[in-house]
Amino acid sequence: MKGKRVDKRLIEGALRKFLEDEQHLVLGFEKAENRVKHRLFKKNLQDYSLFNPYFSVNGAIYLRRLFSKGTKIILMLRPCEIRAYGELTKLSQIERESIIGVSVDCFGAVSLKNDVQDIPTEVDALKDYFDGTDSMRWPCTVCRERKGVVGDAGIRVDTKGSLLVFPYTERGEEFLSLFDDGYEANGAEMLIKTKDKVESFQSDMETFSKDISKCIMCMNCRDMCPVCYCIDCVFNGDDYLPKGDALLNKVFRSGSAMLPQGRELFHFIRMYHVSQTCVGCGACEEACPQGVPLTKYFKGISERLQGMFSYMAGRNFDESIPYLTFIEEELKDAED
Amino acid sequence: MTEEKKDKNPEIVGFACSFCSFKASEMAGSLRMKYPEGVKLIQVPCSSRVDPAFVIKAIFEGADGVFVAGCHPGDCHFIKGNYYTRRKIAALKEMFNAFSIKNKIRLFWVSASEARRFVEKVSNMYNEIKEAKT
Repeated sequence: MKGKRVDKRLIEGALRKFLEDEQHLVLGFEKAENRVKHRLFKKNLQDYSLFNPYFSVNGAIYLRRLFSKGTKIILMLRPCEIRAYGELTKLSQIERESIIGVSVDCFGAVSLKNDVQDIPTEVDALKDYFDGTDSMRWPCTVCRERKGVVGDAGIRVDTKGSLLVFPYTERGEEFLSLFDDGYEANGAEMLIKTKDKVESFQSDMETFSKDISKCIMCMNCRDMCPVCYCIDCVFNGDDYLPKGDALLNKVFRSGSAMLPQGRELFHFIRMYHVSQTCVGCGACEEACPQGVPLTKYFKGISERLQGMFSYMAGRNFDESIPYLTFIEEELKDAED
Repeated sequence: MTEEKKDKNPEIVGFACSFCSFKASEMAGSLRMKYPEGVKLIQVPCSSRVDPAFVIKAIFEGADGVFVAGCHPGDCHFIKGNYYTRRKIAALKEMFNAFSIKNKIRLFWVSASEARRFVEKVSNMYNEIKEAKT
């Protein structure tokens, strides 16, 4: 695969060149107040940061609210964010036409719940930072997909710490053509490596109930999940979480009711609903005010269920989501 | 599920496709075949109408088991509905398996003429769940 060896200055130059057009935008990271945040860049690229060692939300969630004909956006985000964007395009929530998704190698991130500040954002310092500390958030430590190999193009870091740009699609070539300088690079050894496969997730209802018992049903996990996109969520109505008379009827019928109502049901159904699209970014856990270990379940279940169909959320934008397609001769052992 | 049932007779909720499995159950009735009283059938237009959320809800609201019954693959009135069902329910089974509650869910294919097969499948499921309960 042909790519270009670049540096941070060249990347900023390329983005600047892209932003010269009035209709163009860049969604990326900005250094601000001792941390790094998402930002839609239009005029200047001041304080632009290629890497983001802090995790607050998954950037794909902002894309669901961006609809505009004629506007072109470059996403300079983490692989998990680009993968979530890919899943949303498959679900017709985002129009892929106007977006160039560039995944940037990820070194991991810390949770904003921990008060960690002044983490380096440059490659040289960052690549050693997470080796020396255990402040990395749990979802990132188990993440096997930190490589920038998804989307239209990728920015990779090689073992020497220099940056490489690789195009994966036609639009990726378009992104690459923004770089005038930088010399051709074919292959190099990359810094971010694939982790070993882990055992498939196994739990039981007792552990699950215990872990989930702190849940207060604020539904922040649902609202901050990048791939949980339904506007008419089944939990917004009264059908799944009965109120008033319906709740009392249920209590009289079954004897007692756990309060808050239906938290196990809520997480169970949500776990199934995102099982094929979950990218394991851990935004749900980050959003949880009670510190419920949600990623353990959501990532575990989704990996197991995606594995059934040899599918992986966001790996390939042309693969169809397993529930939306089928093969005639399969899953013979599923029927009883 | 958190509210333990005291009686030992399991309650089973079944989602039956109106073109095959529900017809089979009607035929079982007209042939005077018997299947356990605890089985509550819900007629759905096609087995792929069953959102796994229905199944999960039924189980959390106190059902001891849930089955989804549809036409044999290839015989769907809507051409390919049951292929989607198979993927969805197989994934749901895998999820139940991960939580060690796999025996609570079944997927059957029963065509309209297979009344005997329907009764056998349902009674077997009922007996298995009853045995596990005691």
